[in-house]
Amino acid sequence: MNEIKSYATVQKWIANVNGYYNLSDEEWEPRFKTLEDFCRVVDQDPDAIIAEALGDRAEKIDYIRRLRAFAKEQTANPQIAHDLENVVRSFFIHNGARVVTRPYTES
Amino acid sequence: MDFLQVVGLRRSIRIYRSWEKVEREKIQRILEVVRHTTCPGNIQPWRAVVVERDKLSRQDREALLAMDNHQAAHVQAPVWIYWFADVDGSGAETFRKRVHELVDIGALPTFYGWTHEAIDAAILKGEAAPEGMAAVQTLIHNLPREMAALVARQETVGACAIATLAAVNEGLGTCLHMAATADKVPKLRSILKVPEGWDPIWVQLVGYPAEEMEAGGQRPRLPFETTYFDGTYGKPFPRDPKVVEDLKKEGLIREQMPKPGRFEELKHLARAFGFPL
Repeated sequence: MNEIKSYATVQKWIANVNGYYNLSDEEWEPRFKTLEDFCRVVDQDPDAIIAEALGDRAEKIDYIRRLRAFAKEQTANPQIAHDLENVVRSFFIHNGARVVTRPYTES
Repeated sequence: MDFLQVVGLRRSIRIYRSWEKVEREKIQRILEVVRHTTCPGNIQPWRAVVVERDKLSRQDREALLAMDNHQAAHVQAPVWIYWFADVDGSGAETFRKRVHELVDIGALPTFYGWTHEAIDAAILKGEAAPEGMAAVQTLIHNLPREMAALVARQETVGACAIATLAAVNEGLGTCLHMAATADKVPKLRSILKVPEGWDPIWVQLVGYPAEEMEAGGQRPRLPFETTYFDGTYGKPFPRDPKVVEDLKKEGLIREQMPKPGRFEELKHLARAFGFPL
């Protein structure tokens, strides 16, 4: 995989999010790291993930299922896992892939 | 709260303090306000079922949320007021009875021609109403159910607009959402146990806003000059800048969104609730 920021989908993600929220480099770095880690786990680059998710609903659902598993593997803390999931969900959303978002659970 | 401030502060609130209960008396006050809303023939076709999210069974809660596509604001709001139009209660006979009542109490003056006889002749026989009173025969005589439904729905929509203002007046956030997609209406009626003749219009979300009451500022409005006309279409109703300035001072016209800091606010709220940016 190339440098994460070199992918068109990542550039679009950065541009969209910064258009609203103007995140600092310090805020972006952990997000890039999370996306990179997820890409490694699913063995795909960001552009390929989005192409598949946009092309086939079943693929998208499968990515979200793998995302949940990925987040749980990273940490036992459900809130941190939720935040990790959200990074990749954000990447999907800003690239036009419709995904469900949920707040923290109350339990 | 002052009327102009209520109108000026009303927003569709989409982020709620999910955990904060809404006082029952505040809900009652909203319902009481709507009870006094304007309506043709005083037929009052609106009905409402107040649902407290946390009193629902998990199954019913999830079913109701699914009808609104699990919209996040719906998930968060602690009170859902389902507004219905009572179609079967909005037919010609209802109209006739209520208009009789309006004559009897002196709301419709007989010196304009409103009498029981004139009303019955127009509604029951289709005879022309005398000049001075409304030509009710054109709408109400042989009123088909679909027209009664249209009237019931449009008047309930108007009532819902008042309901939103009433909520703001209580210091609450509110937003009107789709109650149910067409295919889910029977299920909605079944869960809330409402009659077949009640058509869902909106579900009004009610709760304390997690975003500030201004919710980022007033939403863009279409230009006054292309919305309102003087005498005939094409001649804009003149907008006096002095009136605009007065309305700003009185709280109707406020800063447009996005106010400075709006996206910072959203960023913090997303973080607090666990939504992705």
